[in-house]
Amino acid sequence: MRIGIVSPYSFDVPGGVQLHVRDLAEHLISLGHFVSVLAPADDDTPLPSYVVSSGRAVPVRYNGSVARLSFGPLTAARVGRWVDAGRFDVVHLHEPVTPSVSVLALWAVEGPIVATFHTSNLRSRAMQAAYPLLRPSLEKISARIAVSEDARRTVTTHLGGDAVVIPNGVFVQRFASARHRPDWEGTPQRPTIAFLGRMEEPRKGMPVLSAALPEILREIPGLRVLVAGPGDPDSIRQKMTPQAAAACEFLGPVSDQDKASLLASVDVYVAPNTGGESFGIILIEAMSARATVLASDLPAFARVLHGGDAGEMFRNEDPADLARAVVALLRDPVRRDQLAAAGRERANAFDWSVVAEDVLAVYETVIFGASAVRTATEPDSRWGRLLRTGRNNGGT
Amino acid sequence: MDLSRILIVIALAVLVAWYISYGAARLDRLHARVEGALSVLDAQLVRRAEATLELANCGALDAASALILAGAASDSLEADSADQSSREAIESDLTQALELALGDEALRRLRADEIVGTPVLQRVATANQRMQLARRFLNDAVTDVRRVRRKPGVRLLRLAGHAELPQTFEIDDELPMLARGT
Repeated sequence: MRIGIVSPYSFDVPGGVQLHVRDLAEHLISLGHFVSVLAPADDDTPLPSYVVSSGRAVPVRYNGSVARLSFGPLTAARVGRWVDAGRFDVVHLHEPVTPSVSVLALWAVEGPIVATFHTSNLRSRAMQAAYPLLRPSLEKISARIAVSEDARRTVTTHLGGDAVVIPNGVFVQRFASARHRPDWEGTPQRPTIAFLGRMEEPRKGMPVLSAALPEILREIPGLRVLVAGPGDPDSIRQKMTPQAAAACEFLGPVSDQDKASLLASVDVYVAPNTGGESFGIILIEAMSARATVLASDLPAFARVLHGGDAGEMFRNEDPADLARAVVALLRDPVRRDQLAAAGRERANAFDWSVVAEDVLAVYETVIFGASAVRTATEPDSRWGRLLRTGRNNGGT
Repeated sequence: MDLSRILIVIALAVLVAWYISYGAARLDRLHARVEGALSVLDAQLVRRAEATLELANCGALDAASALILAGAASDSLEADSADQSSREAIESDLTQALELALGDEALRRLRADEIVGTPVLQRVATANQRMQLARRFLNDAVTDVRRVRRKPGVRLLRLAGHAELPQTFEIDDELPMLARGT
């Protein structure tokens, strides 16, 4: 199968959608399919061989966080060339309503289109304003996938119609086989907890954790908080009490391997996200690494954690409840082990081998539908041929 | 004065012509999507009925369950695809027959038999899942067509031509006991 995948977000910085696209592409390639990924990226960013750059991305504030997007006539021309050169059986767009490469590809593609919606907090104002313009091209999408029930609800309320839910995938084995690092492992006197993600983005929950730390440190003075992810440590330290700031160790952005090791090594992985998470892939990665997960009770997190069977939950945006839960878990190794084991089991349902099979079923369904129509309407009109030759001459 | 009036009329005529051709192309594309989705659903329904027949004849089920399944499956295979409402009823019946036949005990016995039972059950599960996909994609396409065809401009200019107004395909297709992870 010839598959084109489009990511609206730049590959320069890691993020949920980019990782999803990369992993899906790599898994499909390992199954023997031809895959080309189109994504924004700076010229000097090293890209995997299957990724084609659509040009430089600029940081834009959209949908509540800063995203690196790429757009403009030059990008549109590059997208058109990629579509023409790819001769894809199916084109899979991610986040088709983000003002970036995906929406440009939506305009350019003529064949079967599959679209995946990741976000659960579509900005309705931007959507409504651009609706008349977007609507006809959205009608070209043959199959809509949502990565979670929340994302699906967003699709049904904002776009109408429906979407099939296919969750994000994780290479469970990569995390399960992660090496433990002694310097990140906790001891009874000096237990460790980990925070992962862009710390300056409030919805990732750093403020909640900062507010909970004084209380936790009162009970467990030896606690070490390992913070991994991009951001300026000083701006975070300033907002903490001196004791809390002293307990934090900032690791900066970490490699995938170190992320897995960190999750596998610490006593408790804390996900205090306050919203905007439609799925929570990081929880599944943590569960794959056999970490004990403590997360805010966002609906998406509750679903991944199977209502609390596969990880502990605390009341969202409630530092006191977070402190209580951290202390209780750190004092109960048996419970920690139980949760970690249940989480590891639960993670298998999200392995790429399972998830990609569902995605391929969607591809096959739309390809079959398109071919059924094509054979029925042959031979095509002179007008259609004229248009196509004009496009090919002008486009390349 | 007169010239500008003529220009305005020409501009309006061009605008109307563009609207007509654009609207017609948009509808044409949507109808093609519905047609494609419909043929996929048709194929997946046939596959599901065939998988059900296989299940009925695999020997791991009791005779009564096998008869019910075989009956529902052959009804589905012989259904007139032009008569949608009767087909919807027949396919819902097939789902129900599967639900009845695949009780806990039957499932346990089928899963214990790795040579015949497990693969046959897997085929039914896959066929049902793909039929669900096809049905959802069809219903999405139908919803889009119906929305565009409700627009006053489209109705006034009869841009849909003689194409029939498509209907969503409404059946019961949930088989929770075959869902993954159970």
